[in-house]
Amino acid sequence: MQLLDIRNLTLELETPEGMIRAVDRVNLSLKEGEVRGLVGESGSGKSLIAKAIMGVLHERWRISADRFSWCGEDLMRLPYHKQRKIISRDIAMIYQEPSRSMDPTSSIGEQLSESIPTHLLEGAWWQRANARKKRAIALLHKVGIRDHQAVWHSYPYQLSEGVCQKISIAMAIAKNPKLLIADEPTTALESTTQAQLFRLLASFNQLKGTSILLISHELETVARNTDSLSVLYCGQLVEAGDTETILKDPLHPYTNALIKSVPEFQPELAFKQQLYALHGSIPTLQHLPIGCRLGPRCPNARKECVKTPLPERVQNHHFSCHFPLSKVQ
Amino acid sequence: MKKFRLYYEEYNRGPFQLLWSHFSRQHTALFGLTGVAILLLLALVTLVLIPQDPYFQDAEYLLLPPSWQADGMVKYPLGTDDLGRDLMSRLMRGSSYTFGLAILAVLGALAGGLLFGALAGMSKGFKSSTFNHLLDLALTIPSLLLAIVIVAVLGPGLTNTIWAIMLALLPQFVHGVRNAIQDQLKQDYVVAYRLDGANDWQILFSVILPNVWEQLILLSTMALSTAILDIAALGFLGLGAQSPTAEWGSMIADSLDSIYLAPWTVALPGLLIFIAVLSVNLVGDGLRVAMKKRREN
Amino acid sequence: MSQLLEVKQLSKAYHKAEGMFRSKKIQALLDINFALDSGQTLAVVGETGSGKSTLAKVLVGIEQPEQGEILFGGSPLNCRDYQKTNHLIRYIFQDAARSLSPNQKISDILHAVLRYSTVLNEDQRNDKIANTLKLLGLLNEHGNYYPHMFSGGQLQRVALARALILDPKVLILDEALTALDPSLRAQIVNLLLDLQQKTGLSYILITNQLRLVRHFADQTMVLHQGRCLDYGPTLDVFNQPTHEYSRKLMKSIQF
Repeated sequence: MQLLDIRNLTLELETPEGMIRAVDRVNLSLKEGEVRGLVGESGSGKSLIAKAIMGVLHERWRISADRFSWCGEDLMRLPYHKQRKIISRDIAMIYQEPSRSMDPTSSIGEQLSESIPTHLLEGAWWQRANARKKRAIALLHKVGIRDHQAVWHSYPYQLSEGVCQKISIAMAIAKNPKLLIADEPTTALESTTQAQLFRLLASFNQLKGTSILLISHELETVARNTDSLSVLYCGQLVEAGDTETILKDPLHPYTNALIKSVPEFQPELAFKQQLYALHGSIPTLQHLPIGCRLGPRCPNARKECVKTPLPERVQNHHFSCHFPLSKVQ
Repeated sequence: MKKFRLYYEEYNRGPFQLLWSHFSRQHTALFGLTGVAILLLLALVTLVLIPQDPYFQDAEYLLLPPSWQADGMVKYPLGTDDLGRDLMSRLMRGSSYTFGLAILAVLGALAGGLLFGALAGMSKGFKSSTFNHLLDLALTIPSLLLAIVIVAVLGPGLTNTIWAIMLALLPQFVHGVRNAIQDQLKQDYVVAYRLDGANDWQILFSVILPNVWEQLILLSTMALSTAILDIAALGFLGLGAQSPTAEWGSMIADSLDSIYLAPWTVALPGLLIFIAVLSVNLVGDGLRVAMKKRREN
Repeated sequence: MSQLLEVKQLSKAYHKAEGMFRSKKIQALLDINFALDSGQTLAVVGETGSGKSTLAKVLVGIEQPEQGEILFGGSPLNCRDYQKTNHLIRYIFQDAARSLSPNQKISDILHAVLRYSTVLNEDQRNDKIANTLKLLGLLNEHGNYYPHMFSGGQLQRVALARALILDPKVLILDEALTALDPSLRAQIVNLLLDLQQKTGLSYILITNQLRLVRHFADQTMVLHQGRCLDYGPTLDVFNQPTHEYSRKLMKSIQF
């Protein structure tokens, strides 16, 4: 069943210089039990999309979409408090710097107990506090923190980033969400902890059927841990589809450049040879190109590229390019 | 609405211009800046150019109401006080005393603060603490009371008032300058400068002071409002400016007896003190908001 | 011929005050040895707290080592004498934006570097600045810009310009590539490889990104709590790690 179905999402900001379209007609869909990756560099709008799904965007932003439905219900047509109820029940998010996203003035035990929704506790009202504490300890064990005593009374600043990230995952899964959005969860962590974290997320996906939306700017982390992938550039959806197909056969020049700029995906690259890199740099929000936003940097760019390419589809592989890399039947 | 531009030009502003553009977008800040500018202009110009002699006593027109009332005269636009002196010229001359001398006091305190604060900021440990807390003794007494004590020791008069206020403001400046310098020293670019081969003094003048002067201006505006009020208060108490000096505080004190007969002689100096302090505070607030907005961008 | 940079038995400890009268000794580095040739890259990997930032700071002179010696071309080096050593070793900060003073134009910063550490006159300084900016792909006009007018990638180039303007032999990159986007990182890596080929510059790369290390570094050193666990040519360290911790590290990038 389609959990999340977003069609032509556009996020605009009003500035003295005019309207800026930070996210331009992005399609995103998520099935139950799917692990989807959202890859984009800075300025691609991936964090904005995550915040738009959670409903925590600043009021200055104007959201418009043809379809923005969750489990079949159109969120755009519901009043605000109903939206918040649905979102808070079913969607959870973990952030990039975990020790900064937790309350610095309360201990871990308090925060974790607070995040457990009341309707998931069994027992009469006088047994609630005990049930809450037991459930919180069970959650800590589930995310791999065996010694809960050490962590229970500490504050976020006293713990390492890896432990803090595990705790924020525990707080996120406390309400059994259907979707877990992970916004660059591993950039602040060591490589050994990163591996642990991805194993944890994979286990939740397999055992509980939680869908995961993994947002990152590193292609290699996303490529290993996801079933399907969406690539964004400057607010435009450039390519989307199964991870293996995209890595083997990228159709958009930008995806191709991303794959080639990682030495790992090219075993035949000699030691200390120049990496493939697109010339130029990512345009700022004030100077977005018209049409296809990769235009100025694209090696294949031609006259037609001043018009935004329409999304096309080949089997399950979506792409938006006037001149894709290989004409696949 | 898109701002109209004739040419499409990349408009890149330096840090000071960015600050000014944020500052000038706030109407209250511009209002305050205009007030400060007018008072400063008055303070400087009235030393040479003034409509009438502020000390000339015209015995015919004592306690004349302002010119917009039926009994008033245009010759004395704001009326006269109980000794027949023109109120408007006295108020204008008063701006050089209350406002101008307050600025002088603040500048003096700033200079002293820079000296001690730089010595405290650039050194470490015990030496730094000594310089920092050397003048903290002056913080134990409220600034007005401290000024009164000093004036009681040295004798009344405007010059002694200035010294007293300078001493009372000095510790805040020393702390402020030292904290600002120490914040800067923790930054990466100071380490980078050291690696480039600069010695301590070069770091202080080339890197730290240009980055710190905005905070110092903020400190100065807050100190300025205190200084204006202190000078006026001391004048009112008779410990500062002595009559017949046309200082706003002493003008209020002199005219207090005839407040029921001629309320304008008390209200107008008071209004000007209020405007002076308000303008300075608005400028300080505007500057603080502009600095925050610039940092966010 | 002696190596370009040799480090022997380098140790450094910090004393942290614990309570009112006692202090705890934290060994940041213990007995570090390595040797670097010109045109080679050494990568130092390890988790936070392993001492790799301390090693960088000791090499460039921000911190003073307790024991051990640093030899440059065979003769010992006093890293604290900045005006002499910054012609040999330079340092790139992790966050380029924070390493540039916000109220100064780029050309002023570069002029200041030359004024403090060299004896060139005004014209020679202008020439040198123009050459360095060109080498890094920046225009002469960029000298009139303030740091906040640049994008992230250009700021890294400006930081590189400031480091390379004194023609050093060794460049220390303290996690300088970590915070960059992949495409930007690829461009900077290409630039660094280019410079290394053209001028024989050596790099000490302090990073956690093992995949980049495998592509870029001739030698690798694994640090853990101040001790050097593994040191040698990159392929050896990657394929046959001797310590348990290095083994765990190498395995984690298989994920």
